[in-house]
Amino acid sequence: MAIESDENLIQNALAGDLLAFKKLVNRHEGKVAGVVRSMLGQTPEAEDVGQEVFIRFYEALGKFRGDSAVSTYLTRIAINLSLNELKRRKRRFFLFAGDDEGHQVAMKDDSHDLNEMLTLEFGKLDADFRTVATLRLVEGYSTEETAELLGIPMGTVMSRLARAQKKLKEGLSKYLKEQA
Amino acid sequence: MKTKMEDLFLQSLDGPLTHEEKERLAQEMLGNHQFKKSADQYLQLREKLKRTEPDTFGPFFAERIVNKIKNMKQEIDYQIFFFFRKYQVALIGIVVALVALNIAFSDQLTLKSILGFEDQNQGDLVTIDFFQDLSN
Repeated sequence: MAIESDENLIQNALAGDLLAFKKLVNRHEGKVAGVVRSMLGQTPEAEDVGQEVFIRFYEALGKFRGDSAVSTYLTRIAINLSLNELKRRKRRFFLFAGDDEGHQVAMKDDSHDLNEMLTLEFGKLDADFRTVATLRLVEGYSTEETAELLGIPMGTVMSRLARAQKKLKEGLSKYLKEQA
Repeated sequence: MKTKMEDLFLQSLDGPLTHEEKERLAQEMLGNHQFKKSADQYLQLREKLKRTEPDTFGPFFAERIVNKIKNMKQEIDYQIFFFFRKYQVALIGIVVALVALNIAFSDQLTLKSILGFEDQNQGDLVTIDFFQDLSN
């Protein structure tokens, strides 16, 4: 059986076929989950944001003109909603200080391996750095694609990437030395 | 690792370098063990960050989305109904008030009088002849 194209599924979903939309969700869940979890970590809000991404996509189906691939379009929504969630989290943190920090300190233990520490250090990056690192280093978009997705110059992407990597290396120097 | 060379190395991972820059980087890699080690750490870091398998939000994620969309549609229908309900109540109120007024002020209680279709006596009607008034 031939695989239905995204465009066909979108047309069917617009005609009211929710099964077609379900196929689209199944097809692109991995990409969206990757971006959102990388931005927000393994938190309960991550799934809420993931759901919101697809709901927004459903509401905007009529406006989707296919200028970019569906996965790119969804990635853009996922990044924007994740950034909003990070802002909300920051506000919450100021209101109820210690909300996230307790969790982070609890994890900062020598017994944790490089993967866990990497997750922890990644979560400490500023939202701007985390965004470029997610797209370029985690999801594997090229530097040009990352710049296009975020609507920023390539030079900015590269400088943010460099700073993000320096910060990560600084935080993980002990773990990297052990395994290098 | 010297900051300039470090920046050059990181730049080489994400963008193009000139021939001259490539040569400088290669020389540093060969001659500086510390620099080579640091560069390897960056490469290790990037390798660790790379996604190796697709992520997921758990089982039945798509079903949850579809259910949410169905619920949203239902909610919109309810919202439309409740939005117009206040107008419906107001309209019914006005009709009841008009009927009550008719009952209160009509001489005889017939269906016609209640609904405001009471026959008028010809003698009660006042006619105004505008043309006659103007000619006078």
